[in-house]
Amino acid sequence: MPWVSLLILVPLAAAVVLGVLPARERRAARGVALIGSLATLAISIIVVALFDRDLAVMQQVDHLDWIPAAGVSWDVGVDGISIWLVLLTTVIFTLGTIAACQRLPERRGPAFLGLIMLAQAALLGLFTAGDLILFYVFWEFMLIPFALLIWNWGGDDRRGAGMIFVVYTMAGSLLMLVAIIATALTAMDATGELSFLIRDMQGVAFGEATSTILLAGFLIAFAIKIPLWPFHGWLPRAYSQAPIVVTILLAAVMSKAGVYGLLRIGVPVFPEGIGNLLIPVAILALIGIVYGSLLAWRAPTMRLLVGYSSVAHLGFIVLGIIVIDRMAAQGAVLQMINHGIVAAAAFAVVMMISRGTGTGDMDRLGGLAKGAPRLAVAFLFVTMAALALPGSNAFVGEFFILGGVFDQYAWMAVIAMLGVIYAAVYMLRMYQGTMNGPVRGVQDDGRAAEMGARDAIILVPLILMMVWIALWPGSLVGATRASTDLALAPAQVAEGRPVEQIGVLPARAAATPATDPAERP
Amino acid sequence: MNAGAALTLYVMSAVTVAAIVLAVVPLPASARRLPEAIGMAGIIATLAITVTQWGERQVAFSGELRIDRFGLLMTWVIMIAALATLLLGWGEPAAAGRRREFTGLVLAAATGMMLTVMSGDLITLFIGIELLSVSLYILCAMEVARERSLESGLKYLITGSIGTALLVYGFALLYGVTGTTSLAGIATRLDSVGGLASDPLLIASIVLIVVALGFKASAVPFHMWTPDVYEGAPTPVTAFMGTGTKAAAMGAFLLLFTGATSQASGDWRGLIGALAVATMVVGNVGALLQDNVKRMLAWSSIAQAGYLLIGVAVGTTAGAEALIYYLFAYVAMTLAAFAIVILREREVEDGDRLVAMAGYGRVRPWAGVVMTLAMVSLAGFPPFAGFVGKFLLFGSAVDAGMTWLAIVGAVASVISVAYYLRVVIVMWGPPADNRSTVRRLRVPPAVATVAVAGAVAIIGLAIAAQPMLDLCADAARALIIP
Repeated sequence: MPWVSLLILVPLAAAVVLGVLPARERRAARGVALIGSLATLAISIIVVALFDRDLAVMQQVDHLDWIPAAGVSWDVGVDGISIWLVLLTTVIFTLGTIAACQRLPERRGPAFLGLIMLAQAALLGLFTAGDLILFYVFWEFMLIPFALLIWNWGGDDRRGAGMIFVVYTMAGSLLMLVAIIATALTAMDATGELSFLIRDMQGVAFGEATSTILLAGFLIAFAIKIPLWPFHGWLPRAYSQAPIVVTILLAAVMSKAGVYGLLRIGVPVFPEGIGNLLIPVAILALIGIVYGSLLAWRAPTMRLLVGYSSVAHLGFIVLGIIVIDRMAAQGAVLQMINHGIVAAAAFAVVMMISRGTGTGDMDRLGGLAKGAPRLAVAFLFVTMAALALPGSNAFVGEFFILGGVFDQYAWMAVIAMLGVIYAAVYMLRMYQGTMNGPVRGVQDDGRAAEMGARDAIILVPLILMMVWIALWPGSLVGATRASTDLALAPAQVAEGRPVEQIGVLPARAAATPATDPAERP
Repeated sequence: MNAGAALTLYVMSAVTVAAIVLAVVPLPASARRLPEAIGMAGIIATLAITVTQWGERQVAFSGELRIDRFGLLMTWVIMIAALATLLLGWGEPAAAGRRREFTGLVLAAATGMMLTVMSGDLITLFIGIELLSVSLYILCAMEVARERSLESGLKYLITGSIGTALLVYGFALLYGVTGTTSLAGIATRLDSVGGLASDPLLIASIVLIVVALGFKASAVPFHMWTPDVYEGAPTPVTAFMGTGTKAAAMGAFLLLFTGATSQASGDWRGLIGALAVATMVVGNVGALLQDNVKRMLAWSSIAQAGYLLIGVAVGTTAGAEALIYYLFAYVAMTLAAFAIVILREREVEDGDRLVAMAGYGRVRPWAGVVMTLAMVSLAGFPPFAGFVGKFLLFGSAVDAGMTWLAIVGAVASVISVAYYLRVVIVMWGPPADNRSTVRRLRVPPAVATVAVAGAVAIIGLAIAAQPMLDLCADAARALIIP
């Protein structure tokens, strides 16, 4: 069975069904959405089960020509970099769909769920695309459902927020389209064949100058989507105006699109260019870590706090990828998953608190733990994970990243360390400000916000996943290692890194056994 | 001379004459749809004939008319636009009482467009362009009781005449340089006589022709007439101008530049490239400020002409191929959008204003979906036909070493997102207060057919991009055969 293709087509089909459903059929809409997302989740579990963790290249590939004359094809598959992102997407979207079904918007319920399904199809397509044009198609297409969700069901400033979100992202991505075309045509000069397959482009020597320019075209698009400082202008408005379920999806899953692109395309296809842009990008990531943390510290609302903390966390992930170190890259992939889970959980807590108290303003909240002890426990757990307390899942990821960065550029690790400290400051501010202290609640002491069974369905699976990763990070990292090694190797060679740091030498990828970076002296 | 080769011309001329004759003879009420029926039958017959003629080039009238894959495929675009226009005008209340002239004139214009894209000679080309222009001058002014419509016709007449004058002048100079009016002859002369390409007279003629065709294709800075005329003309006519005229003008561009004067491409590549850049930028920025959907679509058609001109500016067959594909996509998107505007216009007063669209998607979800598809595809969102077309056009620019064209195109597309998506937002948003009671009429089936067919084509052209591109590549290659 073409499971990976089904992964995209099943939510797409669910979206079409929801699209034609009359607005009053809200019961049927819930059913279709839940079946659609659970079916997608099941397919993603099958894909994970069939996954061969020792294989570095794309596997379970479905290939079908679309426009052969232009070298464009439907080419989807998974590898170590994408496999866990696929699972993260299906899990978070299943939980998001459940949350959306619990409080379906009054107007046009099926459309709301249909757009969520559409966004899921686009994101799964993005994480599995093996063809640059297909990658671009999904990259752009995901904008439509997210923008419509913000426009139709967002807060008071939804129009402006949605428009800024779309225009920012489009600005980067259309330049990426030009870069994609230029890349394929430059590669054609070398190989004599027009192809947009990412695997065909790896190994094409573009030359240092060309490689740098082409990479810069991609990087702008990635930087906006991530968002990397100073391209984060759309984030605060979009995150605070979107319906909270959509904010969960944006922060947990969509924010991974940019960093994924960097690791999937940026590093392996343009190894020569990475060397030139390594320091500038790393500096932007470091500024993002510090700047995002400071903004999060003083953020007036819970949503903005979590949103700005995302800027900081994604700065870590970018840093982990861009220093082209094996350990840091594995940490970056792990941290993508961790951040997805933690951000989803943090926004879910925000959702419960704002629903119960009617506000998300830090100033108007306090002492909720008294009336909502169960929520307080869950929140504390999420807080600990978000500030990467040793023993939490995020600690493992950040440790890998910082360790790898320290090996390459010690000064970067020192600056990045600030982010870890700030994280404790702003996360504890959020927890203490809302849960402890005097009751400042608008209505009561938090009883209305207490976690009930319906909230637990969403929060408990996320917490279980955090525990799983904290205890067995190897179960994830083991599957990603071969692919990240392969992705980094050309750039490491181009940078002239010592041979013992390189996992696989590009020329004899199969012959060199990969060694665990954790065992490195 | 091959009499059968020009069959499409005979058919179209016959139905045009028939429709015009029927317009002046009194008809019983039961036969009042007769002109439209004859016109549609003629168009469908023409489409069928072009299918059987698909193949190597045949000539008629000693080379005045070239029936080759290029002309045939372009005839398809034009005939589809004409057919859709007749459907959109079906039962148009504004055109009541003048329906028969309407049909005859649309058919005459379509014949002119067909003549343009099938021409093998400067004279035929000129006659074709004039036939379509004169028909459209009258069509624009057809709602004589409405001041805007008259104004629109007059404006179009004046600017169109300037364009015509420049075109004749340019053709005359081109004839003076090469000594022939045959397109094939011009190409051969430029190829065989060295140094001719840098002749100042040739450059002057090229500049004049570019300006003249720029008027017809509404390229910046010759676009000033477009918004006023588009807004003022009856909406089915506007749809026809936006699609058919654009196709014919682009066909003329391809025949004259990529085809006939490709040897002198150094003279015009930069010029047309600059025209494309100005058109993309001004068209998209102009569209941002509009609160009337018809006027917005007019500015959008200017912007789209800019993207299409990329395909001419690169001067390669790859560019022509991309242009022809995008033309099909553009026609589908534009007709779908206009169909929805017409639907709304018949329901409320000032239905072409953006506020009239408020909440329309909730009242008629299918219309909302069609409009959303058209707007999203016009903005170049994947995976729809508009994206595939833009991708091919930008690709041809990068391939021809004119990456700057692709970059300007990309930036212009970003700007376009703002106004295209504004329509989508307004449509799915809440209804405006004063229009909370939305009048619902029975949907005219003819208009609905155009809307749905356009939407299907937007998706179908993207999925079946390869077969379509094969046809476009054949057409583009036919262009350069001397």
